[in-house]
Amino acid sequence: MTTVPRSTTLQRDLDVGELRDLVARIAADPGQWRPLVRSDTSERHFEQLWRDDHVDIWVITWASGNDTGFHDHDVSSGAVAVVEGEIIEERLVVGGLPRQLRHRVGETFDFDASHVHRMRHDAAAMAVSIHAYSPPLWRMGAYEVEADGTLRRRSISSAEELRPVESAA
Amino acid sequence: MNRFSEPVQTCVSPEIDIHQHLWPEPLLRALSLRREPPMLVRRGAGWTLALRGEPEAPVDLADHDPAARAALVRADGLDRALVVPSSPLGIEALAADEGVRALPDEFGAWAAVGLVEPDPAALARLLDAGFVGACIAAGALDGPDGLERLGPVLETLERHGAPLLVHPGPAPPTTVALPGWWAALNGYVATMQTAWHAFAVWGRPAHPALRVCFAMLAGLAPLQRERLVARGGPAISDPDVFLDVSSYGGRTVDAVLREVGVDRLVYGSDRPVVAAADLPLGEAVRTALRQRNPARLLFTVTTEVPA
Repeated sequence: MTTVPRSTTLQRDLDVGELRDLVARIAADPGQWRPLVRSDTSERHFEQLWRDDHVDIWVITWASGNDTGFHDHDVSSGAVAVVEGEIIEERLVVGGLPRQLRHRVGETFDFDASHVHRMRHDAAAMAVSIHAYSPPLWRMGAYEVEADGTLRRRSISSAEELRPVESAA
Repeated sequence: MNRFSEPVQTCVSPEIDIHQHLWPEPLLRALSLRREPPMLVRRGAGWTLALRGEPEAPVDLADHDPAARAALVRADGLDRALVVPSSPLGIEALAADEGVRALPDEFGAWAAVGLVEPDPAALARLLDAGFVGACIAAGALDGPDGLERLGPVLETLERHGAPLLVHPGPAPPTTVALPGWWAALNGYVATMQTAWHAFAVWGRPAHPALRVCFAMLAGLAPLQRERLVARGGPAISDPDVFLDVSSYGGRTVDAVLREVGVDRLVYGSDRPVVAAADLPLGEAVRTALRQRNPARLLFTVTTEVPA
């Protein structure tokens, strides 16, 4: 049975600690997320596991070479549990190289709404992660660093992330 | 008319506008022969539509020329447009189904349901003939009595795996001179919100498998969620309830998207009542609203519902 987030009974957004507990509980119960894993995709694939007024939860399947680019989550905080494989997170550093973190199977991490990061998967084997956002992901910022170092932000709909055009079929 | 009875097998879903109005020639003729509203009245060189609850409005018959409208479907970048019976006319009794069937392949259609004597068998025949689902006026689904009265019709839709479209119905008669937009901003909004909440309370428990689409973002009912919860209402997200975006633009659609997520919005233009316009929300939203979500609304596999 699907884990019901505390947001449903509390009727409020969750903080990063609560989000991290939530993805850890779901990760510990493969019966919830395993059926939503897509092994036949070369694109990042999102399946929604839950949505209420305060939290949305996604199972993301990563294929080799998938890369989000640098982005923020506008007003949403989030937490991630890696349940298969390994995901690389890069945090943007002004005047230096991005700080790289490897999140391995069994690990969780979180970020508040001020966080700018990029996530990618470069191993040959597929990776799977559970993501929870509170409030549910809505607008996002997509960043590009130009050749001269200028940082540009585009405001995008979360649909660009969750329902990219390639998966329209 | 294009038969929509077969699920889409191709790898790319067609681009669909689920909400256009097109009065076929037999309906135009019937309206022009009537001597009381709803009726078409000649005014000088043109025609106007007379309704009880709304001011007389000019009608350009060219807007209802099937070949020209089919060309517009293509010009809009669409594969199909679904014709909605004009419920605000209150003319379900003048069922224009025969005329709709003769429309070019660019069009599919929602079946009208007679509200005086709802006829599930007649609806079943129309669904078998390729109509995508049924359209019912919001006022007929505004509470437990209406939902019970139309229960057999909704069960027929469920059995066929066909969706319901809820569309504003006729505005109440008035003797006051009102602006042309009055009904669209007041009566329509109120009845769509009422039908939305009535379906959540009485409709869904009785029809667990029914897929429903509310026109005009259900009068923005999803934006009442915080108020609903504050007053003790059910904070339930229903993945089989969709909303079309007719007459709304980027700001409002994005606000509703924030409430319900992108998966539950579908593109409906309301052409020719309003001009079709692109939403400035990016390619992913456009694809979700015109391809991915209409496919989920229209083409889910038939499910058997126990009697």
